[in-house]
Order: sequence, then C-alpha cells, then structure tokens
Amino acid sequence: MSLHVRGIVAGYGGVPVLHGVDLEAGPGELVSVLGASGSGKTTLLRVVAGLHRPDAGAVHLAGEDVTGVAPERRRVGLVPQEGALFSHLDVAGNVGFGLLPAGLARLRVDRAARSGARERVRELLELVGLTGKADRMPHQLSGGERRRVALARALAPRPSVVLLDEPFSALDAGLREQVRGDAVAALRAAGSTAVLITHDRREALSVSDRVAVLHDGRLEQTAGPRELYARPATARVAAFVGDAALLPGQAAGGRVTTALGSAAIAGAPASSRGRDGTAEVVAVLRPEGLRIAGPAGRGAPAVVEHVEFLGDAVLVTARPEQDTGNGPVVRIRTGADGQWRPGDRCRVHADGPVHVVPRT
Amino acid sequence: MTRSTRRSALAGAFLAVSLTLAACGGGAADSAAEPAPAEEGTGTLTLYSGRDEELVGPLLEQFQQESGITVDTRYGSTTEMAAQLAEEGDATPAQVFLSQDAGALGALSGAGAFSTLPDDVTGAVPAEYTSTDGSWVGLTGRARVVAYNTSVDEAEVPADVKEFTDPAWRGRFGIAPTNASFQAFVTAMRVTDGDDAARQWLTDLNANDPQIFPRNGAILDAVDAGTVDAGLINHYYYVAAETTPPNTAMKFGAPGTASALVNVTGVGILSGAAESPEALQLVQFLVSPTAQEYFATETGEYPLIEGVTGPEGVPALAELQAPQIDLSDLDDLDATTQMMTEVGML
Amino acid sequence: MLLRTDAADRAVSPTGPPEPRVPAGPSPRRRPPRVLLGLSVVVAALAALPLVWLVVRVVDADPERVLALLARDRTVVLAVNSGLLVACVAGGCLVLGLLTATLLARVRLPRPGLWWVLAALPLAVPSYLLAFAVLAVRPDARGLVPLVVVLVLACTPYVTLPAAAALRAADTGPEDAARTLGRGPVGAFCRVTLPQALPAALAGTLLAALYTLSDFGAPALLRYESFTWAVQAAYEGTIDRTGAAVTAMVLAVLTLLLVLAERVARRRWTRARATTAVQRAGPVRLGPAGTALAVTGLGSVAAITLLGPPAALVGRIVAAGGVDVDWLRLLAAARSTLLLAGGAALLAVLMALPVGVLAARYRSRTVAAVESTAYLGQGLPGVVVGLSLVFFSLTAVPWLYQTAPVLVFAYAVLFLPKALGATRSAVERVPVEAEEVSRTLGRSASATWWTVTVRQAWPGVAAGGLLVMVTAMKELPATLMLRPTGVDTLATQLWAQTSMGSYGAAAPAALALLLLACVPAALLVRAGTERPGETRGS
Repeated sequence: MSLHVRGIVAGYGGVPVLHGVDLEAGPGELVSVLGASGSGKTTLLRVVAGLHRPDAGAVHLAGEDVTGVAPERRRVGLVPQEGALFSHLDVAGNVGFGLLPAGLARLRVDRAARSGARERVRELLELVGLTGKADRMPHQLSGGERRRVALARALAPRPSVVLLDEPFSALDAGLREQVRGDAVAALRAAGSTAVLITHDRREALSVSDRVAVLHDGRLEQTAGPRELYARPATARVAAFVGDAALLPGQAAGGRVTTALGSAAIAGAPASSRGRDGTAEVVAVLRPEGLRIAGPAGRGAPAVVEHVEFLGDAVLVTARPEQDTGNGPVVRIRTGADGQWRPGDRCRVHADGPVHVVPRT
Repeated sequence: MTRSTRRSALAGAFLAVSLTLAACGGGAADSAAEPAPAEEGTGTLTLYSGRDEELVGPLLEQFQQESGITVDTRYGSTTEMAAQLAEEGDATPAQVFLSQDAGALGALSGAGAFSTLPDDVTGAVPAEYTSTDGSWVGLTGRARVVAYNTSVDEAEVPADVKEFTDPAWRGRFGIAPTNASFQAFVTAMRVTDGDDAARQWLTDLNANDPQIFPRNGAILDAVDAGTVDAGLINHYYYVAAETTPPNTAMKFGAPGTASALVNVTGVGILSGAAESPEALQLVQFLVSPTAQEYFATETGEYPLIEGVTGPEGVPALAELQAPQIDLSDLDDLDATTQMMTEVGML
Repeated sequence: MLLRTDAADRAVSPTGPPEPRVPAGPSPRRRPPRVLLGLSVVVAALAALPLVWLVVRVVDADPERVLALLARDRTVVLAVNSGLLVACVAGGCLVLGLLTATLLARVRLPRPGLWWVLAALPLAVPSYLLAFAVLAVRPDARGLVPLVVVLVLACTPYVTLPAAAALRAADTGPEDAARTLGRGPVGAFCRVTLPQALPAALAGTLLAALYTLSDFGAPALLRYESFTWAVQAAYEGTIDRTGAAVTAMVLAVLTLLLVLAERVARRRWTRARATTAVQRAGPVRLGPAGTALAVTGLGSVAAITLLGPPAALVGRIVAAGGVDVDWLRLLAAARSTLLLAGGAALLAVLMALPVGVLAARYRSRTVAAVESTAYLGQGLPGVVVGLSLVFFSLTAVPWLYQTAPVLVFAYAVLFLPKALGATRSAVERVPVEAEEVSRTLGRSASATWWTVTVRQAWPGVAAGGLLVMVTAMKELPATLMLRPTGVDTLATQLWAQTSMGSYGAAAPAALALLLLACVPAALLVRAGTERPGETRGS
C-alpha cells in the first residue's frame, strides 16, 4: 500500500499552515516527517488521516483518491502522542476496537468474525510483546506499554498506512529508544507503510527509510537519512539534521574558499554563480569532517575557545583567525586523547571534499 | 473491574434508578395536580387553604373519609392564596377557598371570584359573621390577642395594640405582617381611625423595632421562649398548640377598640366551580355541627352555628365586645398591603 | 490519594464558565455542528427564560409604582442586610474552608478518606435544618450572628473541597525555595502555597455567597430580613405581586453583580500562576498533640453540622412525648422528593449535555455567550425563579401551571450550572485524540460520540446529576411556589410544620430528608474521590 500526498494547502480559520506539501511513502516504507514545533507536521498528519480538510491538494491511499473521504472510511491507523487509549476499555478492548462494528451492527456479527477478531487481538499483543496483559486497564499500564497498545490498536484492522504522531516524545530517554525500537520492529514485521511525525532528528535519521524535513509549512527536502545528513539541500536542513558549522564562502571551479581556506566541493557544483564565475555559497562543515592540528600543522590558524569531553571523543570549539576580527566558530570532533586547552593556538582543515549549499 | 470503576458505576446506577423512577413519577405528580377522572360516588376537589395545615388538616381528612371525595389542598398564607386566585382568574384550578380572614374573602368577592352560596349554607351563620351577598360564609370567629410571656407583669401588657408604639416596648414585641389576620387588623384600623392614622401607626410601629415573624405560630413560640415579651396572634394558636405553652398568657383586646376586633375565618366557592357538588358538599360540611365542634374543641375557635358550645378557657364571643365594624368593610386588602409596603413593613 | 484532587472539583459545583484554557483539540477553530449549536442555544434560551419573564412582568407594571418600590428605604435596608450577611458568611467560609482544606491536604491525619467525606457531607444538610437545630438549643437565637454561624457551617464545603483539591495539586517547589530564603514553615506555606489555592477557594466562596444570598429558610427561621425573605414576604403578604417582582429583580441584579465581581477577581488571581513543573510535598506530621487538635477541630465542626440537626430533632420528638408519624404521608413526600429531584437531575443533565460538549470542544464568542447564559441559573435565587415561573406558567402555558414539569424545569434552570460544569469537565477529560483514533478505526462521528466520548464522560456527567439531585431535594422557596397542589416534598412538609411551631411533628420529615440527601451526597464524594485519573496518563 502506498501513500501519495500532492500539493496540500491547509490551515485554520483562513490562516494557512501548510503551503503545498508533497509526501510519498511506498509500500512497507517508513517515512518520517521532521520539523520543529509549529512547522505544520501535525496538520499534515491530520490531513492524511482525514481529520482535517485541506484547502487544496489531494491525498491518495493505495492508488485511490481519499481527499474527501471521512476518516472512518480511509483505513488509516493513528497512534497519537500519548497513546490516547480508551480509558473505559481494557487492553484487549482497545486493540479490538477497530475490528468489530459499533452499536446495533455489532449484534449481526457472527461467531466466526468474533473469534477472528479475538485471534487478531492475540496476534497483535504478541507482536507488541504484551501477551498476558490483555485484561489490564489503561491506567494500570506503564507509559511504554500504553504506546505499544496504541500501536497494536492502530495495526489491528490492517490499515493502508499507519500514522504516528510523535508517539515516543513524552517518554524518558532510555525507555524512548527501547519502545521506539520495538515499535519500528513491529511495524516492519507487519509490513506496514508508516508515516512518523517527529521533531527529534536522531529518531528520524535512525529509524526511517526516508525523511521529509518540513519548515514553516513547506518541505525543505525529502531524502534518505544518509543523503540528508551528508548532502542537505539548504543551510536550514543542514543545521536541523546535525551539528554543523555553516561558513560563508565563494565557490569557483569546483573549490570553495572559506575562513578555513580552500577545499574541494563534494558532488554536484552549487548553483547561483556570480558574473565572474564564482558563487556565494555556504559550506557545511560537520565536526567529524574537520581535523585539528598543532600551530605547525596544516590548515587555517585558529584559537581553541572551548573543549568538551564526550567520553569517546573530544569536541573542540575553535575560532579561525581572520583579518576582519571575529569570525564564526567551528567545532571539531577529535580523538579522546587530544590534550587541547582553551587559548591554545591550532590549525583546522576540512578532511576531504566539502558540501556546499546556496547562500540565501 | 477495579474498585474505582465500581464506585462510579454505583453512583451512576443510583442516579439511573432515581431517574427511571422520576420518569414514571413525573406523571404521578401530574395526576395529583389535576383532577383525576371521578369514580362513581366520589370526586376530587382542589382547595386553596389560607389556613395552616395543622389547624384544618385533620378536619379535611375527616371530610375525605366521610364523603369519599379526595381533597387536594394547597396551603399558603391567606393573602398569598388570595393573590394567587386574583392572578389566576378564571384559569384557577381551585374550586374552594378557605380563608383565615374576612378581608381576603371580601377582596375576592369584590372581584367577582365567588359564586353565590345557597341560603341554607349562609343562613346557618349569624348575618354579622358572613357576607352580605352570600358569596362566602363565615366558619369560625377568632379574636386578636396579645400573647405575652408570664415573666411580664400583666398590667404592663397593653390591651390596646396601638400602645405597642410606646418606646417601652421597643424591640420586645412580635408581629407577622404577611399574615392576613394582622393585615385585617390594619384594615380595621383604617376603617375606624382613617387611612392617615393607620399609616402613622404603622410607621411608628415599624420604627419601634418590631420583631418580624413569618407566622403566628412562630410568634407564639418566641413568646413562650422569652425571645420577645409579647406578640400579636389569633387566640386559637394558643389553644391549638402542640403542647400548651407553659410560659405564655393571653390578653384579649380592650372592648370596643380595633384590638378587640372579632374576625372570621370563612370559605367561598369559586365561580368556576359553581356547579360542583363536591365543592358544595365541603362547604356544607364545614358549617355542619361536626366541623364546628371540631373547631371549638380542637382549635379553640368560636363556632358560629347555633347549638355548638364555644371553646373552653377563653371568654365567650359575646363578652369580647368587638368594635362595630362590618366585616365586609375589610375587603380593601390591596390598599392595606400597599400601605404596609410603603412604610416598609412588607 | 493524589487523585482526590479532581474529586473535590467534581464534588462541588463549578462556578461559572472557566477561563479559556488551552484548546482541548489541536484545531480550536473548528466550527461546531449546527445541531449541537442549535440545541445549546435552545438550552441557553430556556435558562434565561425566568429572568426575561421577570423583567417582562416588571416592565408591564405601572412604572410609577415600580419606581416608588425601588426608591423606598426598605430596598436599601434589605441591600445592606443582605450585603452584610453575604460578607460575613463569605469571610467565614473562606477562613474555615482554607483551614480545613489545609488540614485535609497537607497534614497526615488518621483515616484521611473519612475526613474528606465528612468535609463534603454538609452539602446534604439544608441550612434551614441547621437553623432549626440552633433554635432547638437556643430558642431566642435570631439575627445576624446565629445566621452567619449556620450558613458558614452549611456552606464551607463549597470552599473546602476545591481549595483542598487545589492545595493537593499545588506546586510546593516555591515553598521549598521560600524556606531556603528564610521563611518559617507556616510563613512559607501561607505566603507561597496558599495563594495557589486562592482562585479555587475564591470560586468556592462565590458559591457560598450565592447560596447565602438565595437562601430563604435559614434567614426566615432566624428572622433576619434578607432580600430573599423579603421577596417571599411580599409574595405571601401582598395582593398585588408587583412588589414581589420588583424586589426579586433587585435581588437578581445583586446576585448577577456578585457573579461578575468574582469573575473579575478570579481573572486577576489566575493570571499570577506561572509554573509548569509541579512538585508535590507529602503530608506533614503534626505530632500527637497537633494531630489531636486537628482531629478535634475537624471532628467538632463535622459533628455540629452533621449531628446537630438530627440530635435537635430527636430532642424535639422526646420533648413532645413522641410523635405519631404519618408514615403514608411521609412516604408520599419522600417519593415526591425523590421523583422531582430525580426528574430535575435528568432534565438538568439533558440540558447540560449539548452546552457542556459545545463548551468543552469549541471556542468562539457565540459559544462563550451560550455557555454564560446557561450559567445564569447560578445567579438566580430559587425565590426569583419560582416567582417568575408562576407568572410565566399562568400567562404563557396555563395548562402546565402548578404541575410537576414546571417545578422540575425550575430546578433544572436553577441547578443547570452544576450539571453543566460537571459535564464540561468530564467531556474535557476525554482526549480529543481518543475520538480521532476511533474515527480512524472505522467508527463514524456519532458512533464515536456514543462509544467513546459518552462512555468515558458519563461518570462525571452522572456525578453532576447527583449533585443536582441533592440540591433539588433541599430546595424550598421555588418548591413552595410551584409545587402541584396536594403534593408535598419532605422540605415543604417540614417547612409547613416548623412554621406552625410544631417542631416535633416536623422531625420525621426532616430526618428523612437528611437521610435521603446523604445517599447521593456520599455517593458523590466517593464517585468523585475514588476515580483515578485514568484518561490523562503518564
């Protein structure tokens, strides 16, 4: 099952929050939508679920246009932030909620369907590792267990796509990673197409097949995690998906010149060339892509300002010396044995080709 | 199910049961309000009673048992019931009005609210104690008295109510201004002394810090408890009290003054019920010797038909020497209550 | 035991539309469905009917007479009397309520659950029964002082419960900070933590003040000339009811002013709160002497309030040498009481449902206006609603005049705010996300409404109904005016007998009323206190 979202414009009371967003998720793919709060990612999710009617654009689920279809007919699974379990139902009741109809129609359900539903509930509880807790009430569950129940509940009716709205964000750090790992494993095991809303870049990079970065209601870039990290399309994406020094520079002839000197440009040449064949760009310098050496070493001269010991490495903050006085600082990740102190003079250079993005 | 959900379920169940009951019960209460279809030989009657239930309830009970007629009674103050009847007009559900006072009867009669009673009913009572036009009939006579606590010297207690404006009585006496008997007394004073004098008296009285009670019974209680030294009540409250107030004595009004006014309780049939045999039956019962004896013995009121002995322990009706006031002159209740409103007593 | 927090919230009726909060759902600007809005508007119109009709009646009357009535000294005297009474009772309730709340919320007491119930149970005791108990002990009691005592005892739960709940929920972090900044334990508590409970306590104080202003029985028994008594006196004592209508209108205006003043005050107070991270301190041990003192204090207040009236009643029975109980009549009155109060609870809940849902789920000016109008009953004393509905039913619906439906409607208007507050907070407690999940799981909007929203909210809604029921059982002035002829409730029966002075005969009805009212009141406290905060997890 696949999800295609095209040109979604949506907002509240005439104030648009999304300005034409596209999103795609192939069968069995897990796509994250990464954005800061207020970027419109929850609205996007609600549009996909059918809980919010877009002003323009279309949502296709499994090849079918469902833009005007009510949420109950879309076959989407929703896992809200804190699970939002039905507090009046036990775990089995929650998971089985979508398997049998409500009201009078329930009386017409035959025995086979009932036992089928029971079997499916059992299956899902096993999948999320909650076998034996079927008759617990929601308030008797831990936070992690609640998320698992919410996921099982969403998966139970075999939806076309599962939508996860920051389901792990309110958990403690350790628990978060464990629950997230289990949940993703369950999603993969079920072969579900899934869209995960998150503001946590580690979460997005670590579990997704692809990541869509949303800013101010516009998609900045959609790419695989590695590509996104290594070759962000904009300075904003670069900063959002990881620690980076963004140094302004001039690109010309496949090289870029910044405060750290000249380096080769990685991959495709940047656009926005100047009249004289040079272009104003921003170089994206990740700490692990920089090297630091003594005053006699290679690279641009700099002064160490700050040293952070990370255990397995040391993060050195240094300020390149420039004619114009104080320039931007850069951070260098170096071996744990580096004995740098604030005030030390040093030299810094980029190790290998440098990724550049257009200057805006 | 956890303990807690069981608790809330319990609360819900209680409500649900009550509501189910209520759903059925709304109807039950309704049918009580409206005359139920008459069974053979019986019927129902709606009575507005300006007299307290303690005084007339047992008598009405007796009537219901003897006649098989169900009487639905609405109790309230006489003035309240009169106002209600005036407001309801022809729409009134009431068929009979039982009043504590001739004034309210007169007021309603003047508005044409009553149908004319047959002569055998009105004729049973001396003419001075009943309506001149046969619109209502007097049932019992009652005297206004000053009830006083026995710790007060009898000589100190004024026999004329007008003297309660004396500063010596400041804050020491109780009145019930909403009570029709008090209002009738004011009307009587308006008749004998004129409106200006009556207004002056009310103003002075109100300035002398009277203790205000909702009803005569409460005044009697307060007098007996010593909360106030004296109070204006009808004599029968003393006689009919649950336990005879041990610390209370009565002083009857000075002969010839408005204080000695003998007023009557009475009854009338509302014009909408002119043809109602049940209504007539009740009125006939009330002027029968049975009912009159009940009043004389149980509530200490003065019976008005011949051949029934008066109550014990109080002076005979004739000895009271009431002022020469025609009871039908007391019908201007509206002006009286307006006057009382203006001076701030209501 | 932290859960008692919202318990008390629910045990006591709310005090008016709460301040706008963070919208419950992610899309606050959704438009309410037409049906819901339409039903809510109808409910609001019904709630406004008594006041509107009263105004119509007054406008209809001779203007000169109305002006003369308004201008007389007595209006001022009554206003001063009522104002003084309200001020004293409100002050007393605030002090006693905060004190009790502090003991309940912050002190380790033996059998803590018991004290919560005892603190809430006076809600079931009608103030006129307390007044009666006072009279049984001191027959000459009258006027302001005993009346204030009676009303403070009767109304303190309105302050205690929300204040205690707020104290439980209060952040004690600042208190710790204050200690480190040199304040003593008591000083730190009073200066730092107590103010956090003040908005809730103020809201409760408003309820106490409203109750005081609208109370008829206790002032009448203790003969204090308050406005409500004056309306009743004018109703009972004058042929022309314009006086009653005018006095009632002045009373209604005063009451609404009070509601308004409290809202302004609360807005100011609420603004001062600013913490998100909440730290809660455990209860304090007072040591044997302190605990004994606390228990004695709480116990004696509870004993006076809860045991005083029955003791006084039994005393009267003994003094009268026993009374013949008319069991049939007593049963009939108990039945009418239950039926009328139950009907009132049902109607109030039905009326509260659309408005409660609307207010919990949608925000707009229209919604706020509808909700505020529905709360009008809170500012209308029973005597006003009763009088107005006498006028209304006689003129507009004569076939309903003096029937149970009008009385039930009067109760529903009077107590709608209680049901509304409960319904609204119950619906607010159902996460919008749960409804949305239900939609994505294949249930339509209406199926979701019944199987998720109502299913989760109903204990709270039912608690609101119970609260209406308890209150309606005790109601006196509107019942006196509107009840069907020949129908007695326990309240009117005992009222008729006490006003005759036959206190002994009144005792059985009074005892029955106490017992009957205690059942839902106790259920209410338990239903409220024992419900875990299941919906808001983690």
